[in-house]
Amino acid sequence: MSDPSSINGGSVVAMVGKDCVAIGCDMRLGMQALTVSNDFPKIFQFNNAFLGLTGLATDVITLSEVFRYKVNLYNLREERKIEPETFANLVSSSLYEKRFGPYFVGPVVAGINSKSGHPYICGFDLIGCINFAKDFVVGGTSSEQLFGMCESLWEPDLEPDDLFETISQALLNAQDRDAMSGWGAIVYIITKDKVVKRLLKTRQD
Amino acid sequence: MDHMPENWGRPRSDVYGVYNPAIHNAGPTTHTQQPSITGTSVLAIKYNKGVMLAADNLASYGSLARFTDQERLIKVGKETVVGVSGDVSDMQYIQLLLERLIIEDNYEQDGHNLRAPHIYEYLSRVMYNRRSKIDPLWNAILVAGKKDDGSPFLGYVDLLGVTYSAPTIATGFGAYLAIPLLRKIASDDGDEKRITEQQARAALDECMKVLFYRDARSLDKYSVATVTTDGEVTIEQNVRCQDMSWRFADHIRGYGTQTM
Amino acid sequence: MYSEPYIDPASAHAAAAPIEHRFNPYSDNGGTILAIAGSDFAVLAGDTRHTTGYSINSRFQPKVHTLPCDPPILVSANGYSADGDTLVRRLGQRVQWYSYNHNKAISVAACARLIQTMLYGKRFFPYYVHTIVAGLDEEGRGAVYSFDPVGSYEREQCRAGGAAASLIMPFLDNQVNLKNQYDVQTGEPKTAVYLSLDDTIKLVKDAFSSATERHIHVGDHLEIKIITKEGVKVEYFPLKRD
Repeated sequence: MSDPSSINGGSVVAMVGKDCVAIGCDMRLGMQALTVSNDFPKIFQFNNAFLGLTGLATDVITLSEVFRYKVNLYNLREERKIEPETFANLVSSSLYEKRFGPYFVGPVVAGINSKSGHPYICGFDLIGCINFAKDFVVGGTSSEQLFGMCESLWEPDLEPDDLFETISQALLNAQDRDAMSGWGAIVYIITKDKVVKRLLKTRQD
Repeated sequence: MDHMPENWGRPRSDVYGVYNPAIHNAGPTTHTQQPSITGTSVLAIKYNKGVMLAADNLASYGSLARFTDQERLIKVGKETVVGVSGDVSDMQYIQLLLERLIIEDNYEQDGHNLRAPHIYEYLSRVMYNRRSKIDPLWNAILVAGKKDDGSPFLGYVDLLGVTYSAPTIATGFGAYLAIPLLRKIASDDGDEKRITEQQARAALDECMKVLFYRDARSLDKYSVATVTTDGEVTIEQNVRCQDMSWRFADHIRGYGTQTM
Repeated sequence: MYSEPYIDPASAHAAAAPIEHRFNPYSDNGGTILAIAGSDFAVLAGDTRHTTGYSINSRFQPKVHTLPCDPPILVSANGYSADGDTLVRRLGQRVQWYSYNHNKAISVAACARLIQTMLYGKRFFPYYVHTIVAGLDEEGRGAVYSFDPVGSYEREQCRAGGAAASLIMPFLDNQVNLKNQYDVQTGEPKTAVYLSLDDTIKLVKDAFSSATERHIHVGDHLEIKIITKEGVKVEYFPLKRD
């Protein structure tokens, strides 16, 4: 349990629906078995892209600030919003820059391209290898449970409301079988012209 | 009163210091912790009228090709063949156990004789019990013969006591190099019904050749055993790999003393 | 001033000593199992893939066993297959001895307690298996008992064990015990009801298809054993072979 990626716990999941995407995370922050906080969201918005960051909490905070800084510079230089695809490549190259002393994170990116309207999701390993998935991506200490849930609940072309139900059930039931995740959950449902953020009522153990 | 006999008649501890009881276990108990003389892969495939096995004749001492006429396919009883890879001295001990088993069974003179499933059951218990004593017999073994209903039998057991059955099994490097080739013709239970003896033999010959090309602890001389469902056992010895081409070796540079 | 580099005598000695290579008496043979209890039936299912490391040893090595007693009891011990096979075999012998000694068939509850003592008997050199038992209890209801490697056990409605247990178990919580599901009218949490046999088998197939998709040690064939008061039925279902 000195594995940096499972000291603080936490998990994220993202899914593609019909002209929509969803991304969700738990709210726990722990130190090994001890829960320190139940108000530690792991999803950050950068223009059109949403980033879920699991892993070592200090790296989660550091990276969220690094990406805020980099996206702000991008906005100043390009005078436009960053798209999910571009942001994914930014995440990848930023992580690979630290190839031999990596941030201990498991990032997930979700969003809708504002030009094309295409939903986009992807996942990464800690050194930036991108997993381009068409259906769903998972990350964090309950990734095995999330894989099991998503693989059995997810189906193609879900409408926003059904996608919300699917991702919520996947996240909730997965984190209930992981001692390192839970204590609240947040789900974002992203469509071309609207983002809905919902706080889920969950078990508090 | 000290009830431990080994403490009786010892020099007084308060005068001569505490006696070290480790001394009287003069000879340490020895376990096979690593194999020394070894045999490489054993291959086997079921076919429509039985099972066929192949194993080369090399017994290696580390990377040294020590003995080049070691037979590793053992006929047990009337209609079973056991193929052994791994430690050769442990193989010879297993051979001894099996000979004893057959002799004990023959004393009964009841017309019954041990067949492959019985030999397999016995061997798997021996292997599991030895691993449970943390004193394993360092082998991976294939047992081939026929079941009580007359259909072909093929089973695997190794130094951990792990057992399984399949239409094609290979030990050692054969699991990586030969199994993909053998599964092309037999991957599921029942596939063996469509394989003739000639096809099985051709597949094994091809696999032994591939193994000789790529397994550095193998030999191009091997034995092929056939166990038919009629209960006939034949072991063909001194088979050689045929039609090999080593022309590619000419182009290999960078090893040994070659400089250009 | 020049000084000799300090060499820790302990580490210098360790470097000189040969690397110890201890025999590891365990291995992992993959596979996964799943049991669900119904109102008057129970199912125990398992895939038939047998592996060591990245190698598939056999595509059809069934591991769900029917114990030699009447009414029958299903059992599977998943993990290190040599221990699993040994445990099931010894359990079969003990169950037969039980019928000889007591002149009656063993109940599932008694069988479960027997397994506990057998597993705990090897507390300091454990059977490296996740054991699940399924049968009908004395009232004729489906019963599932699950065990850890050293004998802790519990009666449950459903349980997944083995390589893909962590993938399947949350799905079962959600679909069998209806966890995190709420009644639309009242807003109260839904309470679990017994599943029909057809729905149960559909659920088992879905669980294994999903596990096969994401776990390399699961696949080839699914064997579902169904126990009712009529006896044991077996169903096979193909799984992906990659």
